[in-house]
Amino acid sequence: MDSEDDTTVLTTLKSFNSFISDSEKNLTEPPGCSFRHQFKRSMDVLDATERAQSKKRCLQLDHEKKRMEVSHKRARYELEKAASDRARELEHEMGRSQDLLGKIIRLEEREADAVKNLSEQMETNRALRKNVIGLTKKLEERDLSLNTVNQTVSTLKDEIRELKQKIQNKDSTISAQSLENQEMQERLDLQHRKYQEVYQLCQTLQAAESICSEHVVKIKELERRLALQEQDMAVVTTVKLEVEKVPELENEVKRLQEENNFLSDITENFRLMEEEVEGLRRKLERMEKTKEDLVKMELQKERLAEKLQAWENLQQSTGLNIRKPDDLSREVVQIQQREIALKEQNYTLNSRVRNVERMQTELHAELSYQCSRTVEEQKKRETQEALVRRLQKRILLLTKERDGMRAILESYDSELAATDYSPQLTKRLKEAEEMLQKTQSHNAEMEVQLSKTQEEMTTLRLQLQAMEAELQSVKKQQASAGDSSSLLDREEVDNLRQKIEELEAERQRLEEQNNILEMRLERHNLQGDYDPVRTRVLHFKMNPTTVAKQQRQQEVEALREEVTHLRELVRSLQDLGRSPEDPRLHISNLSLSLPPSKEVQAVVQCHRLEVFISLCYRGDGLERH
Amino acid sequence: MTSTMKTITLKGSAELVAEFFSFGINSILFQRGIYPPETFSIISHYDMSLQFTTDPKLKNYLTNVVSQLKEWLFECTVQKLVLVITGLETNEVLERWQFDIECDKSAKESSTPREKSIKTIQDEIRSVLRQVTATVTFLPLLDTPCAFDLLVYTDKDQIVPEKWEESGPQMIDQSEEVRLRSFTTTIHKVNSSVAYKRNNSA
Repeated sequence: MDSEDDTTVLTTLKSFNSFISDSEKNLTEPPGCSFRHQFKRSMDVLDATERAQSKKRCLQLDHEKKRMEVSHKRARYELEKAASDRARELEHEMGRSQDLLGKIIRLEEREADAVKNLSEQMETNRALRKNVIGLTKKLEERDLSLNTVNQTVSTLKDEIRELKQKIQNKDSTISAQSLENQEMQERLDLQHRKYQEVYQLCQTLQAAESICSEHVVKIKELERRLALQEQDMAVVTTVKLEVEKVPELENEVKRLQEENNFLSDITENFRLMEEEVEGLRRKLERMEKTKEDLVKMELQKERLAEKLQAWENLQQSTGLNIRKPDDLSREVVQIQQREIALKEQNYTLNSRVRNVERMQTELHAELSYQCSRTVEEQKKRETQEALVRRLQKRILLLTKERDGMRAILESYDSELAATDYSPQLTKRLKEAEEMLQKTQSHNAEMEVQLSKTQEEMTTLRLQLQAMEAELQSVKKQQASAGDSSSLLDREEVDNLRQKIEELEAERQRLEEQNNILEMRLERHNLQGDYDPVRTRVLHFKMNPTTVAKQQRQQEVEALREEVTHLRELVRSLQDLGRSPEDPRLHISNLSLSLPPSKEVQAVVQCHRLEVFISLCYRGDGLERH
Repeated sequence: MTSTMKTITLKGSAELVAEFFSFGINSILFQRGIYPPETFSIISHYDMSLQFTTDPKLKNYLTNVVSQLKEWLFECTVQKLVLVITGLETNEVLERWQFDIECDKSAKESSTPREKSIKTIQDEIRSVLRQVTATVTFLPLLDTPCAFDLLVYTDKDQIVPEKWEESGPQMIDQSEEVRLRSFTTTIHKVNSSVAYKRNNSA
C-alpha cells in the first residue's frame, strides 16, 4: 500500500512539473484563461487520480473478500470433519461407559454379599474369642496352681535331700570319731610303755652323769696344774734370755741418746736459719718495692718536666700571651665565643640556603603547572579552530542553499502572483531566513570565543615569559647567595629566631609539666595505685587479716549472745519480783545500762567476782564470809 | 647456695629474692608488734641476727605465700609485693610496706648466668633490712590491735591459683611515703618503700 502511495505522489509531482512546463509553453495565452484551463485540468487530474485510487481500493477489497470466503469455507469444512470425528469418539466412549457401569453394579452386589459374610464371621469370631478367653483364664489358674504345687514339691524334695545329706554326714563323722578314739587309745598305751622305758633309762643316765662329773673335775684340776707349770717354764727361759741382752741394750740406749741430742741441735739451727731467710726475703721485697717506686717517681718527674717545658713553651708554640692558667682560660673562652659566633653564622647560612631551595622547588612546581596549562590552552585553541572551520563550511553550504531556495522562490513569485501557494512559500522562506540568522549568530559567537581564547593564550605566554625571567633571576641569586644580604632574608631570620625562642620557652614549660606529672605518677605508684588493664592484685584467701576479722566477729557475736542471755535473766528475775537491793539485780541493771563492748565485759566480770565473793559461790581460796 | 659463687641464674635470683621477702616480712612483723615478741626466735642470716616467727599458723601462711611468689619470680610475672597493716577496730589501713620488683625478662630467654657474686647481693640485702629496722623509729605507734595481709601485684594474664583470690589495692587515705634502699641481682631489682597514715595531731 505504501509503494502505491509513493507512486501516486510521484505521478502527481510529474503531472505538476508537466503542468509547470506546459504553463511556460502557454505564455502567449492570456493569463486569465490559461489559468482557468490549467485549474480545470488539475482538478480533472485530481479527480481521475482519486477515482483510480478508489477503484484500486475496491479491487483490493474484492480480492480480500474472495480470499476470506475461501478460507472461511476451508475452515468450515475442517470444523465439520473434526465434529464428525468427535461424535464417533463420543459414541465409542458412551458404549465403554455403559459396560463399565454394568461391571460396577455387579461388583457392588458382590461387595454387599461379602460384607454380610464378613459381619457373620465377625460375630462368630467374637463368640469364639470369648470362649478362648474363658478357657485361657481357666488354664492360667490351673497353671498357677500347678506351679505352686510343683514349687512346694521341689522345696520339700530339696529339704529331704538336705536332711539325708546331713544324716549321712553325721554318720560319717560319728564313724570317723570312733576310729579316732580307737587310734588315740592305742597311742596312749604305746606312750605309757615308752614313758616307762624312758624313765628307767633316765635313772641309769643320772647315775652315770654323777660319776662322769666327778671324773671331769679331777681332769680339770690336773690340767690347771700342768698349765701353771708350763707357764713357769716359759717365764724362766725368757728371763734368762733378757738377762743376756741387757748390756747390749744399755749400749744402744746410750747411742740413741747421743743421736737425739745431735738432731735436736740441728733442728734448732735449721729454725734459726729459716727465720733469717724470711727476714732477708722481706728485706728484698721491700727493696724491690722501693726500686719500683723510685722508677715510677722518676718517670713521673720526667713527665712533669716535659709538661712544665710544654707549658713554658706554650707561648712560643701558640703565639699567645699565656703565662698563667688564667691567661689560658681567657684564651679558651675567647676561642669558644668565636666558635659560637661561627656556629651562629653557619646556622643562619644553612637556614638561608634551605629557604632558597624551598623557593626554588616552589618555582619549579609553578613552572610545571604553567607549562601544563599552556599545553591545555593550545589544545583548546586547536579544537576551537577546527570548530571554526567546520562552522565556516556549514555557513558556505547554507548560503548556497539559501541562494538556491531564493532562486526557486523568485521563480515561483514571478510565475504565481496571488495564489493559494504563496503563504506556504512565504512560510518556507521565513523559516529559511530564520535558519540563516541562527547560523550567522552562532558564527559570531564562535568568532567571539575564538578571539577570547587567543587573548588568553597571549596572556599565558606573557606569564610564562615572566616566570622564566624570575627563575633565571633566582638562579643568579642562588649562585651569589653567600655575598648578598637582602632585607627579606634578614626579616626571615629575625622571624625564625623569634619562633625558635617561643618554641624553646614552650619546650621548657612542657618539660616542667612532664616532670610534675612524673612526680605525681611516682607518688601514686608509691601509694599503691596500678593500671587495672595490665595488672591484677592477688592475695591468699585465708590471710591473717580475714582470719582476725572472723575471730573478732565471732567474739562480738558471743558477747552479744551473752548480753542477751543476761538481759533475759534480769527480766526473768524482775518478773519473779526479787528485791532491788539484791546484788544480782544490781549487776543485771548495770549490764543493761552499759553498752555491749569489752569494757562492759570487764565491768561485768568485776561485778560477778564481787557477787560471788559476797554470796560465797566461789571456791578458789577467797575468804568466805 | 654458697656465698662464694660469683654468678647467678634466674632460679637462684628468684630464691634469693623470696628468701629476702621471708626474712623481711618477719622482721617487719616483729618490729611493728603485730605479733607478740615471745612468738619470735633469733636466727642468724646475712651475717646478722634476725627475728623469725615460731607461730605454726603464721609460718604455714608465709611458707605458702613465699613458695608461690618464688614461682612467679621465676616466671617474671610479679610486679609488687605489699605488706598491708590494718587496724581491726576501725578496719583502716594504717601502713603499707611496698616492694617493687623489676624483672629482666631477657634472662628468661637466655640461660647464661649473670656475673654478680651472691656475697654482694647479700650485703645489699643486709643494708635494706637494717634500714627497715631504723625506719621504725619515725613511724607512728600502732597502739590498737592490728592484722596484716600480703598483696601480690601480677600481670593481668596471670592464672589465679586455687587458694588465692583477687583483692583491691588497700591504699591509705592521706598517707606519707618514704622511699628506702634497693638491691639488685642483675635479674631482679627490688625497690622498697613504706607509706603510713598521716597523724593529724602532728
